[in-house]
Amino acid sequence: MIRVVTLDKVEAADLAFLTRTLYRAFGLGTEYAGDRPVPPDAQAKDGRFDAVKLLRQVAPVRTYADDKVLYITSEPLALTPGPLGEPPCWGFSDYGKDRALITTAHLPVRGVTESSIETYQRRLAREAIHAVGHLWDLHTCYDARCAMHPSWSPALPASPEMDLCVFCREKSERKIRLAKT
Amino acid sequence: MRGPPSRHPDEPREQLPAVEGFIADASDLVPGVRVVYPNQGVCAVIGIEEKDIAGQKLQLVRMTREEDGAAVLVPKNKVPTIGLRKVATGDQIEGVFHYLAAQFDDPELDWKVRHRDNADRLIAGGLLGVAEVVKGLHSLSRIRPLPTKEREQYDNARHLLVHEVAVALGVPAGLAEDYVDYALMPPAGVKFDLKPPPPPVLLPSRPKKRRPVAEETEGVLGDLGIAELGLDLELERALETGPAGTAVPLAGADEAAEPAEEESEAEGAEEEEEKGVPAPRPDRAKPPKAAAKKAPPEKSRKAAARKPPLPLKAQAKDHGERGKKEKPAVKKAVKVKPAPKRGGKKR
Repeated sequence: MIRVVTLDKVEAADLAFLTRTLYRAFGLGTEYAGDRPVPPDAQAKDGRFDAVKLLRQVAPVRTYADDKVLYITSEPLALTPGPLGEPPCWGFSDYGKDRALITTAHLPVRGVTESSIETYQRRLAREAIHAVGHLWDLHTCYDARCAMHPSWSPALPASPEMDLCVFCREKSERKIRLAKT
Repeated sequence: MRGPPSRHPDEPREQLPAVEGFIADASDLVPGVRVVYPNQGVCAVIGIEEKDIAGQKLQLVRMTREEDGAAVLVPKNKVPTIGLRKVATGDQIEGVFHYLAAQFDDPELDWKVRHRDNADRLIAGGLLGVAEVVKGLHSLSRIRPLPTKEREQYDNARHLLVHEVAVALGVPAGLAEDYVDYALMPPAGVKFDLKPPPPPVLLPSRPKKRRPVAEETEGVLGDLGIAELGLDLELERALETGPAGTAVPLAGADEAAEPAEEESEAEGAEEEEEKGVPAPRPDRAKPPKAAAKKAPPEKSRKAAARKPPLPLKAQAKDHGERGKKEKPAVKKAVKVKPAPKRGGKKR
């Protein structure tokens, strides 16, 4: 089961589209599990939120074995700098575990036209699939058409696909089949 | 560190330089130490235990793989040979990231060589070797999609790299993955101030082609292996004596020796002509097989040996008849299909 938790306001239509897409991508039941407040301690001096800290401090939701929880926030996120600097942060997943976080701060503006709303929804769904994929042990994919391709990659097309490539799909299916429940 | 086993028993096993942090002594494996098992990932040592296996008491080092908690048992005396090493240090990690972010425009295009080299790099167990696999296959994936086997190899190598980076830097695996992605696929406009990458991992040398060397002590039959079949063939004697008791040179005779032989034969012929005896024709141009076919069976040869020597005229007649008899065979062999006319049908 995939449980979606919002930390900021998300449109109902967007949530409906997101749950449908996640169900199609992983074949798992997906439901909205309510909203939680953003933990204020996770905020850094520059106004962004530390993604790792936020995910640890956010209030939990009731889960069962193999449940995955996806938190959605509109706040900009930051990561601890690595050996080559700080990578851009579109979200953070506890690899192979049960919690992931995505932000809508880098997504295109939702707008009011149908096309802009659709573009926004598709990008949101793509980020959600990417984050949940990491929870199912998927690594980043080099294929720019796959949802597991990094969102900051220059190879990413203007309107990227929100599906997994064959390899990632098969791997996720295998992992889901081998799950405890 | 020992390389892969040699292909031939008479070749010594190759010794490769050990990777950095290589553990050669089992006494270094104290409980709580984190080590990297080649191709498996980071393991934590639990302790040493003794087990009775097949009537032998073995001392085993018990470890758990950190990623999934799988138990790993290694015989204590095997520790120096399996390639266990310590977790990479900060400097090594930095070198690896500078290597990942560097330009790489020379992917190996021969899939056999590439797959074998990558497997060797992963087995060797060094972090830089794993990074080389990731970088090489990632660069190749920009040219064309990877085949399934290599896609799996790329995924495995990436898994090992991400987990070791996570353990070495003390960050979650998800964050280590972002670091690796940032180095491999930097966003547009980002340029890194890179240091020169560390020297590449030494791979075991490939086995050379062994060319069979003809042993001078063995005869022609020894090379063919006919002697091992146990057949009572008189080929060797036939080769030595030729069709009518003439000396047939062996197939492996040096060409350089031919002029000297010709000279000596010419001299012999002159002498015999002087004496009125025709010189025996050496059947040198014929291959040994043909000579063996023409060799008479044992009985006829024995009978010929028993016969009293013919007078000279009779010998000459006999020789002439044999020459006549052999002629059609030669003609048959020489008969060649006429080559098709050039230019096709012209009228």
